[in-house]
Amino acid sequence: MLGAAITRRVPATPAREPRRSVRVAGAAAVPPPSYWDALEPLLTRVRKPAQYVGGEHNQVARDWGAADTRWLLCYPDTYEVGQPNQGIQILYEVLNERPRTLAERAYAPWVDLEQLQREHGIPAFSLEHHRPLWAFDVFAVTLPHELGHTNLLNLLDLGAVPIHADARGVEDPVVLVGGHAAYNPEPLAPFIDAAVMGDGEEVTLEIDDVLAAWKRDHLDGDATPGPEARRDLLRRLADVEGVYVPAFYEPRYHDDGRLRQTVAVEPGAPALVPKRTVQDLEQWPYPRKQIVPMTETVHERFSVEIFRGCTRGCRFCQAGMITRPVRERRPETIQKLVEDGVRDTGFNEVGLLSLSSADHSAIGAVARDLADSYEGTTTSLSLPSTRVDAFNVTLSNELSRNGRRTGLTFAPEAGSERMRAVINKMVSEADLLRTAELAFSEGWRHIKLYFMVGLPTETDEDVLAIADLGIRTYEIARKHGRANKVTISVGGFIPKPHTPFQWCAQDPPEEIRRKLSLIRHAIKDHGGLKLRTNDPEEGVIEGLLARGDRRVAPVVERAWKLGARFDGWHEMPTLETWMQALEETGVDLDWFSSRERDEKEALPWDHLDSGLDKAWLWEDWQDAQADKELDDCRWSACYDCGVCPGLSIEHDTGYTGGFQLPVLPQGLGGGSQELPTAPERYASDG
Amino acid sequence: MVQRYRIRWTKEARTRFISARDLTSVWERGLRRVDLPIAYSEGFTPHPKVSFPDALPVGFASTGEYAELTFAAPIVPDRDLARLSDTLPAGMDITTYLAVPDGAPKLARMLRATLWELVWPPVDVAELTTLLTRRCDELLAQERAEVVRHRPDGDRTIDVRPAVLALAASARPTAGGDACTVLRAVLRNDGPTVRPTDLHAALSHEDIAEPALYRRVAQGEPVDGGLREALSAAVVPLVPDVDAEAA
Ligand code: SF4
Repeated sequence: MLGAAITRRVPATPAREPRRSVRVAGAAAVPPPSYWDALEPLLTRVRKPAQYVGGEHNQVARDWGAADTRWLLCYPDTYEVGQPNQGIQILYEVLNERPRTLAERAYAPWVDLEQLQREHGIPAFSLEHHRPLWAFDVFAVTLPHELGHTNLLNLLDLGAVPIHADARGVEDPVVLVGGHAAYNPEPLAPFIDAAVMGDGEEVTLEIDDVLAAWKRDHLDGDATPGPEARRDLLRRLADVEGVYVPAFYEPRYHDDGRLRQTVAVEPGAPALVPKRTVQDLEQWPYPRKQIVPMTETVHERFSVEIFRGCTRGCRFCQAGMITRPVRERRPETIQKLVEDGVRDTGFNEVGLLSLSSADHSAIGAVARDLADSYEGTTTSLSLPSTRVDAFNVTLSNELSRNGRRTGLTFAPEAGSERMRAVINKMVSEADLLRTAELAFSEGWRHIKLYFMVGLPTETDEDVLAIADLGIRTYEIARKHGRANKVTISVGGFIPKPHTPFQWCAQDPPEEIRRKLSLIRHAIKDHGGLKLRTNDPEEGVIEGLLARGDRRVAPVVERAWKLGARFDGWHEMPTLETWMQALEETGVDLDWFSSRERDEKEALPWDHLDSGLDKAWLWEDWQDAQADKELDDCRWSACYDCGVCPGLSIEHDTGYTGGFQLPVLPQGLGGGSQELPTAPERYASDG
Repeated sequence: MVQRYRIRWTKEARTRFISARDLTSVWERGLRRVDLPIAYSEGFTPHPKVSFPDALPVGFASTGEYAELTFAAPIVPDRDLARLSDTLPAGMDITTYLAVPDGAPKLARMLRATLWELVWPPVDVAELTTLLTRRCDELLAQERAEVVRHRPDGDRTIDVRPAVLALAASARPTAGGDACTVLRAVLRNDGPTVRPTDLHAALSHEDIAEPALYRRVAQGEPVDGGLREALSAAVVPLVPDVDAEAA
């Protein structure tokens, strides 16, 4: 065969010691090789190759020698899923704005490329210069959920970095994790150097300073740094508020296997690691230079976070609990970020992000002003909001001025009034039906309703109430048009740390499946009412990792070794692999997942402080079991969850200026149909 | 006042991996960034009026892509298309444009033939160039040259010969100081589709490897010795002047 592709010379991965010359600060460093030339010929052989090339608008590609500290920011899933992540985007900007810092990005290669990389000796790489993972000072990974854990191990291994933290030396990157799943990093404890709790903006820059100082002290001189230099780095990191170094803590267990306590064993390591909270979002007006992908991703839009936190207190919701308190961005800042961002990126869609976007105290004005700015243009606005009330419909009407009124999504989460009291989702059936009535009468064609099964204290009656609510909504839909649709989307509940439901038992998949079939059976005579469900087995791994302790770490490692990757993907059914890993490591899934904990038992995340008082959570858990609701503390009296006093801030909502406060209707659902500002604007609208 | 422009653009370097599907949004976002008054289609999901005559397979490079842009208001083409070119990802550049008068023939009709280039890695250069030259002569002397195209939905036999207008193999110096073998071919576009991969199949006889790169060099009217490029009317030679290219 003539002209056969010579195996391109792939730069060799150096042994660990020589890597130190790459890690040195500034121009003295030997720049690591780029793997682009080796990678390029392989890209015609893989799915969606554009995800690996980088080079997008707003990418920052700096010289290696121009930086003293070098970060590789990673979302441990495909580019398609990870690229739109706001956390990575913000940190990418704030780090790269520093004159002596460089940050590049990495995502998980799909299995086809991974196999080729392993065959050809191409390590995990950054997108900007295709530099190898091992060359960076920090490998910082965001964990929005637990299903990226095996990908994290895989990336380390593919990046020629020891997967075990205690095997790493000064020539290896520091492995940091952040994001929601970092609030219980115990199942990853042996693999990470540190977990960073809470908002990343400030703490990331502090870590960068620590790193720069440490490099000056240990890497600049002629002396060869020994293993104690690595330990010194961990110690300095542990001094940064919000940074948890698992190696400095040890779990102690009761004889029966329950956790007694996790204790700090390193002098100076804090007994309780507090989360970080950025108090004023106005100081962090990002993204300003959002990366514009050249290939399809899950969210193709310019996104602005309009507030952080949520105070509704839905008891199942980890995001709502751990991101308290609410901090809003000012309407004029939102407007400016959007206008600049749309111009700079060329995106034709704007997303106003937050956990519950209709809850911004000035959302009416924000929506109106943006809708005015983009009226008659091809720019569309989206507001992911699932609040069940008339206000949300009005808001959606406003935002859809440029488009078609297709689908609205509401999340009553549970079917019966009693169940909604248990989870503290304060929506009445009357609210929902009234909201549906309004939505369909205003021309919306499709309503999606989100529910969960497997909630604590749930009976079959509660489950059947989901079907019932779906049917009633569907009857309303039909009344307004035979083509109108209703979809009920039902997932299995997974208890998460730092929530009042952290003590409860998770339903095993068979039980979830049974409950789903109850619903399916109950709606079978209503052809136009659609049911969407996930595979109940999908919650098994997530549940185990969410509330597992350090004894679950060997399972993660074993599952990865057995080939588990992309655990959240339908294309990659990994449950059997995990079951085998559980068996081989002797870890009892049921003990971790479907066992109710009592008040005395220590939880693996007790030494990580999300700001919520454990006693308060326990009380709320008791209230839940007694079907007692709790009000939203943004609008009504504070109920002392513990977050605010520690931060010496109150919920930061509302501003003096061109609109009234409070703008939200009191209570949920019974709300006004009008946006609170300039209601006359809508007179012609509908 | 509606204005239409036809442009020639490149899809080189990293951008050769962008799929045809993703290209529309890459162009739309570029046009929005430089705020050019591109016209939009009517309807609930308006699309910018940017049309591409045909799709290039993912991974192919090109200096011979074309598009037709319709603007809803006048632009200053020299300035504005240069700005657009600047904001597109590195590797995508607008190299020529031509205003389209009313009643102009369809763009596709101006692209009757394509000059393709197949580039091999810098190995076996002399032997491969000689062998390819012989195979090219043989193919041009034949009446038919059938190859089987393997597709997931079944094999298809196609005759490559009618599409082949000109072929030439040569050795070209590389930036790294080596040389590599390059095959250039002018294929007609107005008959049944023959792809450069089919041409490779017809020449390889199972002993010539897949080229490292396929490139669409230019499109236009076939002429003796090459192709008259559609927008500039300049002749792109079948066998390039190596010294000129290196300069
Ligand atoms: S409204 Fe409820 S479910 Fe939504 S983010 Fe807030 S607490 Fe969580």
